[in-house]
Amino acid sequence: MAELEVEHLRLSFGGLTVLDGISFTVEPAELFVLIGPNGAGKTSVFNCISGIYPGKGRILFKGRDITRWSPRARAKLGIARTFQHSELFPHMNVLDNIMVGRHARIDTRPWAEALSTPGVRRAEIAHRAAIERIIEFVELEGVRYADAGSLPFGTQKIVGLARALALEPSLLLLDEPSAGLSRDERDDLARFILRIKHELKLPMIWIEHDMQMVADLADRIHVLDYGRTLASGDPQSVLSNEAVINAYLGKA
Amino acid sequence: MSRLPRASGHFRTSYAQDFRLIQTPLERRWLAALLVALLTFPFIASPFLTDLASQALLAMVGAMALMLLTGFAGQVSLGHAGLLAAGAFTAGILFRETGAPFWMTLPAAALVGAFLGVVFGLPSLRLRGLYLAVSTLALHFLVAYVGGEYESKRGFSTGIVIDPPVIAGKAVTDPRAWYFILLTAAVLTLLVCLNLLRSRSGRAWAAIRANETVAEALGIGVAANKLLAFVISSMLTSLAGALFAYYRGFVSVEAFSLFLSIQYVAMIIIGGMGSVLGAILGAVFVTLFPYLIEAVMQLLPGAGAYAGVMFAVNYAAFGVVMILFLVLEPQGLVGIWRRVQTYFLLWPFKHKPVAGARR
Repeated sequence: MAELEVEHLRLSFGGLTVLDGISFTVEPAELFVLIGPNGAGKTSVFNCISGIYPGKGRILFKGRDITRWSPRARAKLGIARTFQHSELFPHMNVLDNIMVGRHARIDTRPWAEALSTPGVRRAEIAHRAAIERIIEFVELEGVRYADAGSLPFGTQKIVGLARALALEPSLLLLDEPSAGLSRDERDDLARFILRIKHELKLPMIWIEHDMQMVADLADRIHVLDYGRTLASGDPQSVLSNEAVINAYLGKA
Repeated sequence: MSRLPRASGHFRTSYAQDFRLIQTPLERRWLAALLVALLTFPFIASPFLTDLASQALLAMVGAMALMLLTGFAGQVSLGHAGLLAAGAFTAGILFRETGAPFWMTLPAAALVGAFLGVVFGLPSLRLRGLYLAVSTLALHFLVAYVGGEYESKRGFSTGIVIDPPVIAGKAVTDPRAWYFILLTAAVLTLLVCLNLLRSRSGRAWAAIRANETVAEALGIGVAANKLLAFVISSMLTSLAGALFAYYRGFVSVEAFSLFLSIQYVAMIIIGGMGSVLGAILGAVFVTLFPYLIEAVMQLLPGAGAYAGVMFAVNYAAFGVVMILFLVLEPQGLVGIWRRVQTYFLLWPFKHKPVAGARR
């Protein structure tokens, strides 16, 4: 069974149609890449999947229809995402930023928190340990206590990835994780993405503009243009598709 | 609220250590010294100074509650005086009508505060910033109106007189006893605030304050957590109001004017937004400020001639200080404190190493 099924997803703001009947499925542990020119509707697809925009059509996650679910309920179910501009909480340190990402997995009650009961302490310490494993996973040990806003952009993007991983997600949405990253940082990112795929076996939807990375890593590519599907399939055939070259890739 | 240890050579080796409120031995020693100073203060100071300290402690409870709401959860409120009034009137009315003892009126005040917290908080689900502030202001006037109506209808037009609380068979009237009661209240409020801020709810508030949409997408219940902030803040404020009523032995609407709300907002701004220590410093500053001005005026030649304009001078000076803080030190007193701290921590160097240089 597919992890995520998107059926005839439509989204419009007033008279502007942003998504015009998009359909795709994501298989378990699949690295599914979404590409397309600016304004094609890639981030809108993410906003529909994570529940920020109310799209029409159907979204099924592990066979469950989540089309009408709130963003919070979807997060609880295990849909985690990163943001194009990382959208960290600048005045919180890296550790707390990642801890916020774990919010839906922590179940302490406010009244107990106010008294800092032994149960709350145990939970905090256990989750802190889990966060540390993620910090290790994405190699952020050096900046644990630094304010997120003071970090270089590339590091902020990795913190954003860590924050999404903190949810212990079963589907990961990556919105242009490589944008603004240096060559070295991109290498790291590619390594993290491959480790997520092979060690955590997470299905991922990945919006990306770096065609080299896409060609090297993607299992399947889905091309959007003006809110419609232009092509979909394995990297080889999609990247050599005439329509895709004309709309997005351009001729060398 | 986990932060970098502020001492060299101090390394944390367990996650439990990361969660602790007191980190270094030096911090523990300073805290012990502060505690000793606070406990011996009323035995050294004059009754007047003890009363002043009690006022500051009472203001701290309210200021910390407002800081939780505004400084951490990012919800602006101008209804703080209304909530204090609600607590004070709950205690006053219950005492007058039923003769209930303080251990019943205080929980009742907290309950009324929690209820009003939901009412004050509901607009926050739709409104932000200035609009929210105005809606809380409306509720302030509502509470003040109800209190005023009660006073005039029941014939307490000058205010409700409350007997001092009776603890262990003795009426508490001694300023020293009051000092210790209010000190306990302030310390408990401090602990509640710090505990909340270092756990799940505190992080949720900070996230909501920074970006609601992102918070929601990360799985935080924005509406529920906003209301929670309002409820907890209002409960604490209402309790402070009830304590105020008992401390003064008297409840009257005039005490809870809009100016009082402004004073509490001033406390958290002057103290330093987003810091519990800021709320404490701000409460002390704003409480002592009028006395300070008075003392300065006394020193001027021909002091007697100014006695009539004392009030006006006080208001004006308060305004000037407010503006000066907003312009020159937006981080407030806590910003100054942190600079001093950093200076000694880094000495003989001047600058911190650049944070987060990777590799």
